[in-house]
Amino acid sequence: MQFGGKTWLPPSPAEALEQGIAMVHQHFSLVPRMTVVENLMLGQARGVLNRAAFAARISDIADRFGFVLDPNAVVGELSVGERQRAEIVKCLMRDPQLLVLDEPTAVLPPSEIGALLDICRRVADSGRAVILVTHKLAEIAKVADKVAVLRTGRLVAQADMATADMGALVQAMVGREVKPLDVALDDSEDSAVAPPNQPGFALVCDGLTVLDRHGATRLDNFTLEVRPGEIVGLAGVEGNGQSELGMVLAGLLAPTEGRYFIGDVELTHAGAAAVTAAGGGIVPEDRHAVACVTAMSVAENMYLNKLDRFTRFGLLQRRALNEAALVQMKEFDVRAAGPDVAFSGLSGGNQQKAVLGRELTLDPLVALVAAQPTRGLDVSAVEAVYRQIRAAARRGVGVLLISSELDELIAVADRIAVLYRGRLVGERPAEMNERGAIGALMSGQGAI
Amino acid sequence: MEETLAIFIASTLRLAMPLMLAASGELVSERAGVLNLSLEGMMLTAAFFGALGSWATGNPFLGVGCAVLAAVALSAVQAWLSVNLRANQLVVGIGFNILALGATTLLYRIIFGGLSREEIPGLPKLSVPGLSDLPFAGTAFFQQSVIVYFGFGLILLIWWMLNQTSFGLAVRAVGDEPRSADKAGIPVARTRWLAVLITGAMAGMAGAFISIADIHTFTENMTNGAGYLALAAVIFGGWNVGRTIAACLLFGAATALQFQLPAMGIHVPTAFLLMLPYLLALLAVAGVVGRLDPPTALTLPFQRGK
Repeated sequence: MQFGGKTWLPPSPAEALEQGIAMVHQHFSLVPRMTVVENLMLGQARGVLNRAAFAARISDIADRFGFVLDPNAVVGELSVGERQRAEIVKCLMRDPQLLVLDEPTAVLPPSEIGALLDICRRVADSGRAVILVTHKLAEIAKVADKVAVLRTGRLVAQADMATADMGALVQAMVGREVKPLDVALDDSEDSAVAPPNQPGFALVCDGLTVLDRHGATRLDNFTLEVRPGEIVGLAGVEGNGQSELGMVLAGLLAPTEGRYFIGDVELTHAGAAAVTAAGGGIVPEDRHAVACVTAMSVAENMYLNKLDRFTRFGLLQRRALNEAALVQMKEFDVRAAGPDVAFSGLSGGNQQKAVLGRELTLDPLVALVAAQPTRGLDVSAVEAVYRQIRAAARRGVGVLLISSELDELIAVADRIAVLYRGRLVGERPAEMNERGAIGALMSGQGAI
Repeated sequence: MEETLAIFIASTLRLAMPLMLAASGELVSERAGVLNLSLEGMMLTAAFFGALGSWATGNPFLGVGCAVLAAVALSAVQAWLSVNLRANQLVVGIGFNILALGATTLLYRIIFGGLSREEIPGLPKLSVPGLSDLPFAGTAFFQQSVIVYFGFGLILLIWWMLNQTSFGLAVRAVGDEPRSADKAGIPVARTRWLAVLITGAMAGMAGAFISIADIHTFTENMTNGAGYLALAAVIFGGWNVGRTIAACLLFGAATALQFQLPAMGIHVPTAFLLMLPYLLALLAVAGVVGRLDPPTALTLPFQRGK
């Protein structure tokens, strides 16, 4: 790495800061119970605290870069944007030559983004370099001098913003590589399944809105219908409301507004058990924390939602459970030493196949919501997961597939809806020649 | 009537003092994220070694020194277990309390055996010149053991340290967001160690107060739950110095009623009065006084990168 004219690689964040490289991370490192000035004094001040002097320095920096920050406000009571400004001041106090912001706008409500970009501009105008890491081309277009596109760790495009061609940048961002997945799925005899025309809806989201505890909108009037036998892909960069939607549909989070049905049953405030009873299969995003109990056996995990079938007079019929699990393990190709080994010993792919098997064997099964089902899986496991999902759709199950892997969605889904900042910003057919348009929607082009 | 009230205030202060000392010390360590359930054991150990030191040397001030040393030694083990070894703080604390009760009882029987009931050299009372003769306030406030005045000084020092020094800032940061503190260059383990040692020193003062300043002897299990009451006072006080002290005074007053009500001719079952401070503590811990908002990382060991 070349920095300040010499070749140098920072051995640690502290060393980098020492040499003038400051970074604002996506996750803030502030203590919510303390005030802004106390947070900034942490590790900087020695001995008896002189809050007034430090507060004056904060106000001074805030003035210089054109924003307002109350040094005596308690951090926990500030908005996300104000906390971010506190982080930026923390960096600027060290007088860095290079300021790096990692996805700074991902956490901000739209109203605060403009102000942040203004601060970036002013920092740059003060003679410092600023690197803004973001998924959103619109923001770059507004503020940047130069743009570089990174994809899967490689620099794939570079341009001066003034002369850059937006279309080319979008193409570079969403890229195109032939994945073994397409080949595998296209080869299978069921590749050309037309969505069967069945009456009614498997899954209906009607105006779902989620406000987080800070009052920021995480999901904004989300309306989507999934027909029986249809696979709807929900594309979007992570952190645009997918997690919240997944939690609402699983019955783990009550929406602030809106309603949600599986089949004809309203499940808006019903809870997870009711979702299962109504035929909603849920493959949660967080496999380890939500989808399974890793300390329990494979069999117990595979029948976690149907344990009452194996319970007689309050006692678990363990032999029957293990026998049933063995059958299901074969059916869903879950490879483990046996049904009674601990779930934690399985590979991620086998765990996911087991969870999928559990949800797909619900009776009745009306709709399946699978959130990031292939994350961390190897290619063969990805293939197996999608084969099962497509087989379920052929049997008339409505599938909502939430994924940030656009190529996988295009290969598996019938149509693709795009989520951006908690809003449904568009819907396209799942076809290869649409991927540029979908990518543009994902990156917020034409959406703000 | 006025005389009774003055005596009531004086005995409230006297009974609340060990709680205030122990609770304000415990507050420091809890704000740093370490729970010392062993507070009771530390106090009992200190009470014993304080009495022993005072008896052996004939000097009650050296006795206080022995008490503080004993409690600090115990707190060092607690810090090593809970900070370095990341042991479960609840289990460690309970273990310490049982150990302290057994060990002090055994040592007491071996060493004092035949001497039980013998009074040990105690700390003098200090009548503040000019103030102790004031009609009401004199009896209420200014005829206390020297350790009471010194104790209030220590408590003020702790309040000042927590709010006005960089060490206090570090303590609060490692108790809430150890990861952020670590990033800001705060040595998390060292800060927590120091906080636990401060708890030990304060628990030592509290134990010494009970045996040397107040009762002037050691008896088996003489702290009798005062350590738990101090822990409850920290919760009751919402991890805030002023409110914690107020809670200790409340518990002290509830205990003082045991002696005052009968003297005033009001007959309430003694058992109820004995129970009163513990009942108040239970209500506090159950959250009756409001939503509890403990330090975020309380009882959670810190390990970088995990």
